[in-house]
Amino acid sequence: MMKYWDETIAVAQRILTELCRRRRSLIFWGIFPVSILLLNGFIFAERANLSTAKAMQFAAPSSLVGAALFFSCLGGSIATVVSEREQKTIKRLFISPLSGISYFLGIFLAHSLIGMSQTILVYAIAAFFGASFGGSMLLGFFIVLLSIIAYVGVGFILGTTLARRTEDVNALVGTFGVPLLILGGAFLPISLFPEKLLRVAKFNPIYHMNEALVDVWAKGKTWTEINYHFWFLCVFAFLMVGCGWLFYRRMLMVERRL
Amino acid sequence: MLEIKNLTKYYGKVKVLEDLNLYIQTGTIYGLLGPNGSGKTTTINLICNLLQADSGIIKINNQIVSDATKAWIGVATQENLLYKTLSCAENLDFYARIYGLKGKKRARQIKTSLTAVKLLERAKSPVETLSGGMQRRVNIAVALVHEPKLIILDEPTAGLDIETRYEIWELILNLKRQGMTVLLTTHLLDEAQRLCDRLCIIHHGKIIAEGSLSELRQLFPAQEIVLIKTEAETKAIAIAQQLGFLHRRYGGDLAFLLPYPLELKEIIALFDGIPLHSLTRQSVQLEHIYLEVTQNY
Repeated sequence: MMKYWDETIAVAQRILTELCRRRRSLIFWGIFPVSILLLNGFIFAERANLSTAKAMQFAAPSSLVGAALFFSCLGGSIATVVSEREQKTIKRLFISPLSGISYFLGIFLAHSLIGMSQTILVYAIAAFFGASFGGSMLLGFFIVLLSIIAYVGVGFILGTTLARRTEDVNALVGTFGVPLLILGGAFLPISLFPEKLLRVAKFNPIYHMNEALVDVWAKGKTWTEINYHFWFLCVFAFLMVGCGWLFYRRMLMVERRL
Repeated sequence: MLEIKNLTKYYGKVKVLEDLNLYIQTGTIYGLLGPNGSGKTTTINLICNLLQADSGIIKINNQIVSDATKAWIGVATQENLLYKTLSCAENLDFYARIYGLKGKKRARQIKTSLTAVKLLERAKSPVETLSGGMQRRVNIAVALVHEPKLIILDEPTAGLDIETRYEIWELILNLKRQGMTVLLTTHLLDEAQRLCDRLCIIHHGKIIAEGSLSELRQLFPAQEIVLIKTEAETKAIAIAQQLGFLHRRYGGDLAFLLPYPLELKEIIALFDGIPLHSLTRQSVQLEHIYLEVTQNY
């Protein structure tokens, strides 16, 4: 057990050190959600006749799920795996006793820390504009955590299968991500969606992340009121982790040689 | 240290290794030679337990290779597999942790490995700021950091300048002096000749020659080689054939294989009447043996 823990910490620390050295990604992962929060917040305030504080309260969840966690946890974990494949450092990991579980957990931990930092940043800025947050902190935390697990799982699937080079990451995030973000209500309020699109959106995990967070932290709803979103996220997150693991094993079979 | 018995490996229906047998003694440098595609890398993959053999066994320290034996092997690949934005010490620290080293022992091993490759003073420099030769040395240090019993060096000097090559050679010989066992693959035959205690030449997945340099010299049909430059090559070849000397071409140069040593004046006398631009005597080198055995095979 200790072996897995040490390995996980080593992988996570290495990823975070690399990101800190490059700085750019970390800075952009901070700037992007904040700018989306401000844009969404001021648009809501103006168009929905809300106070700035109330508008920020409703804009924060979608900014977090769509502009923060999506790019740092999904895009970031694809980039981590792809960069290992491109630099071929993954081959040295194959030679080493590092277990696949620790490798996955290390990536998950590193991106969770980034995701949690983004959560604090987004909500701190929203609070700065007077937004107040009701509902259970713990429940909101679990929703954020499930979102991160789901994103890292999807990142693993895409990073081990479709993305082979760094340039592929942007294409993949654009192709799969942006339509899902729009359909999940990350950039446009779901209330604007036609009925048919709304029915489709209910199969989109981003919709559930967004709705669950709005319900808990903006509307103060309890677990019993949001359990539909919660269970959907649970199933999706663990399905993605399972699939991510299978695809990682498949990549090992194909690439596990010098 | 390393024992390979009757190792056979197929990729699909293609047999890439056939009945390979090797034994590497502790504290020696063993050279694995062969043309591209001969099966060297497949052998390394099997030793590292990255591939499964179709038949045969590989033992390290009398234990059949498995994930458990990975910690006994250190591999320095031909490419520098390093995290470029991390410093030398951070790269070593990461791998030391992966191999389960902790606390003071980890710090000591990082220092020892960087000292071994003469990069202690650059410990905090990011890898991307180092020269190609220094990066290669960091790559070797990473292979040493967990104190492996067997070091596999896959073309450690490929693409390096001569000064760096000499530094790496010195490093490899130092590893041997410290009692480590080294498996070296290289296309540079002078490197193999200079460093290796024993050599193995693989071709089409089979061992075609194995032994020390003096043992391999027995496979060569001459004791000395004479290279000549002349416009009358046909005439020179005819004379040599009459005397029973074989001839070869080494990189365009005409060479005659002398089955017994001759004095210089005797050699010159052999080619009497032929306008010679130059005549060079050479002892039998590994490259001659290599070409002989791989071309005859």
